[in-house]
Amino acid sequence: MLEKCLGAQRAKRFQRALRHCKVTILCLFLTVVVLRGTIGAGKFGTPEQDFVDIRNRFYSRKLPEPQRLLGELHSTTTSVSSSDSSTNNYNAFDINTILLDEPEEETDRENFNYRLGPKISDWDEQRSRWLRKNPDFPNYLRPNKPRVLLVTGSSPKPCENPVGDHYLLKSIKNKIDYCRLHGIEVFYNMALLDAEMAGFWAKLPLIRKLLLSHPEVEFLWWMDSDAMFTDMAFEVPWERYKEYNLVMHGWDEMVYDDKNWIGLNTGSFLLRNCQWSLDILDAWAPMGPKGRVRDEAGKVLTRELKDRPVFEADDQSAMVYLLAKEKEKWGGKVYLENGYYLHGYWGILVDRYEEMIENYRPGFGDHRWPLVTHFVGCKPCGKFGDYPVERCLKQMDRAFNFGDNQILQIYGFTHKSLGSRGVKRIRDETSNPLEVKDEFGLLHPSFKAVKVSSSK
Amino acid sequence: MGQENNHKRTTSAALPTARGRGAALPRGRQIQKTFNNIKITILCGFVTILVTFVSDDILVLRGTIGVNLGSSDADAVNQNLVEETNRILAEIRSDADPNDPDEQAPLNPNVTYSLGPKIRNWDEERKAWLLQNPEYPNFVRGKPRILLLTGSPPKPCDNPIGDHYLLKSIKNKIDYCRLHGIEIVYNLAHLDVELAGYWAKLPMIRRLMLSHPEVEWIWWMDSDAFFTDMVFQLPMPKYDKYNLVLHGYPDLMFEQKSWIAINTGSFLFRNCQWSLDLLDDWAPMGPKGPIREEAGKILTANLKGRPAFEADDQSALIYLLLSKKDKWMDKVFLENSYYLHGYWAGLVDRYEEMIEKYHPGLGDERWPFVTHFVGCKPCGSYGDYPVERCLSSMERAFNFADNQVLKLYGFRHRGLLSPKIKRIRNETVNPLEFVDQFDIRRHSAESTESKS
Repeated sequence: MLEKCLGAQRAKRFQRALRHCKVTILCLFLTVVVLRGTIGAGKFGTPEQDFVDIRNRFYSRKLPEPQRLLGELHSTTTSVSSSDSSTNNYNAFDINTILLDEPEEETDRENFNYRLGPKISDWDEQRSRWLRKNPDFPNYLRPNKPRVLLVTGSSPKPCENPVGDHYLLKSIKNKIDYCRLHGIEVFYNMALLDAEMAGFWAKLPLIRKLLLSHPEVEFLWWMDSDAMFTDMAFEVPWERYKEYNLVMHGWDEMVYDDKNWIGLNTGSFLLRNCQWSLDILDAWAPMGPKGRVRDEAGKVLTRELKDRPVFEADDQSAMVYLLAKEKEKWGGKVYLENGYYLHGYWGILVDRYEEMIENYRPGFGDHRWPLVTHFVGCKPCGKFGDYPVERCLKQMDRAFNFGDNQILQIYGFTHKSLGSRGVKRIRDETSNPLEVKDEFGLLHPSFKAVKVSSSK
Repeated sequence: MGQENNHKRTTSAALPTARGRGAALPRGRQIQKTFNNIKITILCGFVTILVTFVSDDILVLRGTIGVNLGSSDADAVNQNLVEETNRILAEIRSDADPNDPDEQAPLNPNVTYSLGPKIRNWDEERKAWLLQNPEYPNFVRGKPRILLLTGSPPKPCDNPIGDHYLLKSIKNKIDYCRLHGIEIVYNLAHLDVELAGYWAKLPMIRRLMLSHPEVEWIWWMDSDAFFTDMVFQLPMPKYDKYNLVLHGYPDLMFEQKSWIAINTGSFLFRNCQWSLDLLDDWAPMGPKGPIREEAGKILTANLKGRPAFEADDQSALIYLLLSKKDKWMDKVFLENSYYLHGYWAGLVDRYEEMIEKYHPGLGDERWPFVTHFVGCKPCGSYGDYPVERCLSSMERAFNFADNQVLKLYGFRHRGLLSPKIKRIRNETVNPLEFVDQFDIRRHSAESTESKS
């Protein structure tokens, strides 16, 4: 038939060309297959992804034994240069092959009736009874010094960003240092107590659990993992909060009048251990359960609050909304502090550190020497933040060193510069170490001293 | 292969047409055709193999610089961020400190290194200070004040998993120390460039002793050591007459002169003149460079089983205690009745058995106080053991300990390898009855008071 259309010669040439094409296509096809299997072709997926898809389709319920086997299989079907299980090289190893991560139970229930726990109505009485029976665990260490527990935390799994864990480590060291100087205890949480309240809401069940398990604690101080202490000498003015139960950084007008979603900040706040706090936690929680509840609540919050972008409900917006809506019920015991930086937005502080060092000294806690520099939006543990990575990480280093200098100077050292990891000596060793007084009096500060009559 | 056959069939199908035109197809031509096919097959196979090798390299390259061949817009943004992060990461991890051009020359071997000016009357000075400062006592509620010192290098680990386990390790220490009223100092600075590495603890210990006379004991603990018995308390009254408590075995030390007779990954130093003197005697093998190298040779020659490498603090201490036994040993306690340091390999596989048969508070081989991951080196690139074994064991040890902390709150890990937790006790309207039952701190306080 071809002959009739084109003529004999042409037909032969055509057929030859066709043969060559077939060979070419064959080779191309093989190449693509091999490439897909090794590098992957973006959205066209890889065999590994196909495997995962198939696995997910068939194993929708939690099955521990097969899951573990699949986990092992999964690791062996990964790419050509997959990790050798007997390698001694940490860089060639994928931690997810050993962390047993059972998938969450898929519950589609609309949890409009979520509760943090059974309602407790007599916590103040229970607690004061317990304190009377346990005089060795007083809730006040000295007349104006309540027992404080600083609570922070992060995920039990490695950060997605390779340097994230290093910054978490520096951040907790920073908190350990401040708390050691100020006689505050630290609780580092790595457990998700309630899968419904994941993400920024995870602090609510945790806080409630800690309040109820530690009646000796008078104030619980929640602090985000991306917040750092930058004034080691500043002691929180506890007497100021005698009549209050919740202290957050913020402005009354911005919360009650403007209903601005950043009128207060829940990255660093103080909560008294009492019935009122349990009640406000119960009132705060309903917008938290993930899924439809949180999404719907997010829409309400975006509508009701000023300048709030569109995203699911977060604990901070929910608090603004709660306070603005029920001011008479809660407002009387909430102190919105802006006399010092209980939370200090990093953007306006980090470039001024050198100026602060030149003009001021630790102990102010405010714009002259911020107590806390909070890296909102940087998200060093995740893959994406709201700001350029370089700016975030470099500034976190600077903030860390700025705080660390105040600790190192106690021992006669300081960082070579705010950007440098190395330290240099600023005070020679002496044969009379006890006569040495550190510049800011942090070696044996008064806020750490125990009562003279009895020990702590 | 199927395609090849089709190809052949097509070819042979074409043949009759050619044949139909004229002469019968010679056998030679057939062979030639077959050869052509074979050539093509070999060519394809070769190309495939080539591509496999190349893509192997590309994959490795991709892993490091993040190249993606099939990128869309979102992927492109993603990739840019990853590249950016990797660039900054490389900068952060680089040895060179951009702000610090000075490179200190190695110490002159003829000058004896010293940790600081000699102090001779530390005991009297300290006593006087304590009298003048009663609000900083060295004994709190009948227990001596202990300061736990630990640390890690100032830059990110060579691999990200290392930092994650440093984080878990410090959380583990925070938990134990909170339960037992011990303060923590986490050191991230090289105070003395000469004594970097494992020697860095010496200047730090001295510095803390002299700055904190209220501290009775300084407890050094490696960053790769985990507390695995949250209830166990150090039997401090046992060490009233001693100034240095190490985990070790006298026979290994004095008879065999083994380089692992003691372990300096977890030990206690009393804050006193004797300790300052010992630190001064210990330090000389430390300064990096030719001093440390030469000292390493001496140690390898004198200690049993020691491989050849530069001097480390542990071998140096053994050598010091052996060679000046009469001067030092009467104040050194070699503890082996509980695992002040517990070598991990013999312990981590038995956690389930321990949970079944025993209970926290024993501190010994039934429920080890400390599980120490010697040789794993998760912060570096290479350890002495397979990575999987090390990391899964560290995760197990961490969760084993964490379960003891979570018990008060009514939770435990789903399994020793699982980061997730499950509830073991329902919420109640009377939480304080469980606090009374499960709070480790209250039980340890009671036991101290009953002893004193």
